[in-house]
Amino acid sequence: MTLLFGLMLAGYAFGAAVAVLSPGGGPARRLVAMGAVVGAGAGLGLALEVFTTGVPFVLEVPTLLSVADGLAFRLDALGAFFLGLVGLVAIPCGIYGVGYSEAYEGRYSLRLLGAMLNLFLLTMSLVPCAANVLTFLLMWEGMSITSYFLVLTETDEPDTILAGGWYLAMTHAGLALVLAAFLLLAAGATTTAFGDLRAGAAALSPAARNAVFLLALLGFGSKAGIIPLHVWLPRAHPAAPSHVSALMSGVMIKLGVYGLLRVGLDLLGGGPAWWGALLIGLGALSAVVGVLYALMENDLKRLLAYSSVENIGLVFIGLGAGFLFLSLGVTAAAPLALAAALYHALNHAAFKGLLFLGAGSVFHATHTRDMNQLGGLIRGLPWTAACFLIGSLAIAGLPPLNGFVSEWLLFQSLLPGIGSSVLLVAPLLTLAVGILALTGGLAAAGFVKAFGITFLAIPRSPAADRAHEAPLSMRVGMAILAVACTGLGLAAILLLPPLAASLHGSLGLPESALRFTSGVSLSMPGDFAQMSPTLVALGLVLTTGGIWLGVRVLAVGQRLRVSETWGCGRVVQTPRMEYTSTAFAEPLRRVFAELYRPTQDLSIDFHPASKYFVQSIEYRSEIVPWFERYLYAPFVQCLYRWARPVRAIQSGSAHTYLAYLVAALLGLLVLLLVQGI
Amino acid sequence: MRLFSKILQVGLATEPLPLGGDDVVRLLHEVDARTRRLFGRALAIREVDAGSCNGCELEITGLMSPVYDSERFGVHFVASPRHADLLLVTGPVTRNMAVPLVKTYEATPAPKLVVAVGDCARTCGVFKGSYAVAGSVDQIIPVDAFVDGCPPEPAAILQGILAAIGRR
Repeated sequence: MTLLFGLMLAGYAFGAAVAVLSPGGGPARRLVAMGAVVGAGAGLGLALEVFTTGVPFVLEVPTLLSVADGLAFRLDALGAFFLGLVGLVAIPCGIYGVGYSEAYEGRYSLRLLGAMLNLFLLTMSLVPCAANVLTFLLMWEGMSITSYFLVLTETDEPDTILAGGWYLAMTHAGLALVLAAFLLLAAGATTTAFGDLRAGAAALSPAARNAVFLLALLGFGSKAGIIPLHVWLPRAHPAAPSHVSALMSGVMIKLGVYGLLRVGLDLLGGGPAWWGALLIGLGALSAVVGVLYALMENDLKRLLAYSSVENIGLVFIGLGAGFLFLSLGVTAAAPLALAAALYHALNHAAFKGLLFLGAGSVFHATHTRDMNQLGGLIRGLPWTAACFLIGSLAIAGLPPLNGFVSEWLLFQSLLPGIGSSVLLVAPLLTLAVGILALTGGLAAAGFVKAFGITFLAIPRSPAADRAHEAPLSMRVGMAILAVACTGLGLAAILLLPPLAASLHGSLGLPESALRFTSGVSLSMPGDFAQMSPTLVALGLVLTTGGIWLGVRVLAVGQRLRVSETWGCGRVVQTPRMEYTSTAFAEPLRRVFAELYRPTQDLSIDFHPASKYFVQSIEYRSEIVPWFERYLYAPFVQCLYRWARPVRAIQSGSAHTYLAYLVAALLGLLVLLLVQGI
Repeated sequence: MRLFSKILQVGLATEPLPLGGDDVVRLLHEVDARTRRLFGRALAIREVDAGSCNGCELEITGLMSPVYDSERFGVHFVASPRHADLLLVTGPVTRNMAVPLVKTYEATPAPKLVVAVGDCARTCGVFKGSYAVAGSVDQIIPVDAFVDGCPPEPAAILQGILAAIGRR
């Protein structure tokens, strides 16, 4: 195990070193990617070993940074799950980056990109390994800072700097809260090692435990991107290079989930029922509002970012159900709900990574993310289209792909709680089930839009018409994740029982009753429900094959007539007559007008001679960004108002600042002198 | 509430057919029965105005009015030629409508019928020789039956439809 751990560190370090030292060019990009892939592969191997053997990997370096208990690593099954998740997405993203960053050659700093990517992966891999507060926070901060630099890669895009600013502000606000949570926890412990914190947490007063949980929820929630802390996702994800977006959205936000599980369930050992209820409420809000905003987006990557908010909401619903069942003593259902949440996190990493890589490949080919400029890409980019389709089907929760399995599990894990007699639990869970169903339907609509508008029909712009297929490395990256999406769906029966069992081992949860019958179907406790992804897949293949065969048999001897699409008899059909992304979402914009509050602006330019001749029509419709306008804007304005007096002493001259330093030093010395007397 | 009081105040506004009401019903029954034999379902009609003065359209609308109410026998108008079995074409075919008419004909799934309604559709009527007219309907697309009249009565249109079905 130590060998694999060392190989992981060495791989990433090699990648970073090559990026910094090399002059750039094709071989350097390949070496940088090789470092990342080796590191991620070793991480995945380590995770698998810990996961299968159940023996935690422990490594302590107390002499390094000994001031705060040194560096300490301990990888248990929970951490291994998340380390494996990092590796699963990092390998394809590393390969994909070789081709994707070629366009950056000469425009942006590839040294910074390569080095930061490897360091980002390294720190991200070490977060779930951390075994004391110092190590955890160091790696957490490293992950945030390196990803900030990665967001800033495309420096000449107008929105990049602002996006980076939002991300940095949100992630550091989160860090401050996480730090506060750990300090409160450490108050009752002898050292800051997680084992001691766990022992000390039992002695904390209920108020302190609640405070720790709330601080951790807000801190880790800002990283996970739950509403209302999601504002950085739709800004930072589109600004970052696509393989970085895939990593940030697929993996990094999941580490927020990891942090919450580690603090809330492992260190604090669960809490009162309202913790779970709060998690379910936040999750349900994130799921519905996230998917509703995703539906209205015309920017492909912003759509994916909002969809990440939705999926993190689904994960939080599962987590909340787990917390709730634990505190209510419904021991059979708790591990199931947590396993469902974790499996959904893993699946989301696979399909959202895939979709971001697909979106990146679209951007690579057309240089635009605006869906209203795309269309017809399935002809130019058949591989990308196929992979994007698999990702869309998976995220829409259609069998036999992985999204279906985990959403089914989430449903099944919520249903046993509905019979609960505890006040308000039944309505809460019923509401959560309803929200899950609504979200699933809306997500399907959103991805019909994302795939249909981008890849089908005829191109809406010359750039989309000239689009070319992505280079081999990018196709390989996408293909790996597409295979992972299918595999995680079909092989769910092999993966889920060990996952549930490992939670039993690492979090001290009760034994899960999830089992599989006759090797093909998953069975809920007490034969409540069962489902077989494999048989569902087989049924689907047989049905579609049967329909295809039937049509072929019936069509024998019939003449096939190919004619153009009916366009109301117009003489020429142009892309402007196509369904646009905005138009596709229009019915839902009307249905949910209460939330969106769309503003419409129609200006028509008439010919001066007669208003029967229209020269131009401009239609603009925007939706009200509630959270930005009513939550963040007042806060930012307040901040500006408070910051204005400070401007008086801010001259921008280094000399003045040195004078301030000297003055402050003198003042402190005088204070010391006065106190000394 | 205002709706209900309006209904009460107005009462029955429709009039019975002045003469031959039973004939029309018989005609509609026959159209329905023979369409079912030919297409296996009720008749779906797409109306194409190829440049008419809208006199024929008024009479065609009459088919859907409460007096004739052809829809009770399944004879109904549809919004796209993709859904249609029969095209009702009116007017002389203008230059602007020649291509759309051909496209509409091509978009209609076979087996399909075409009924040219009104004198203009057969002879271009008073518009004959105009610079804007491309020709009569049968010069542009194959026609199964003509309905004479300027404009023809709804009953005559039904007879034209029957004639077109009868040719198959």
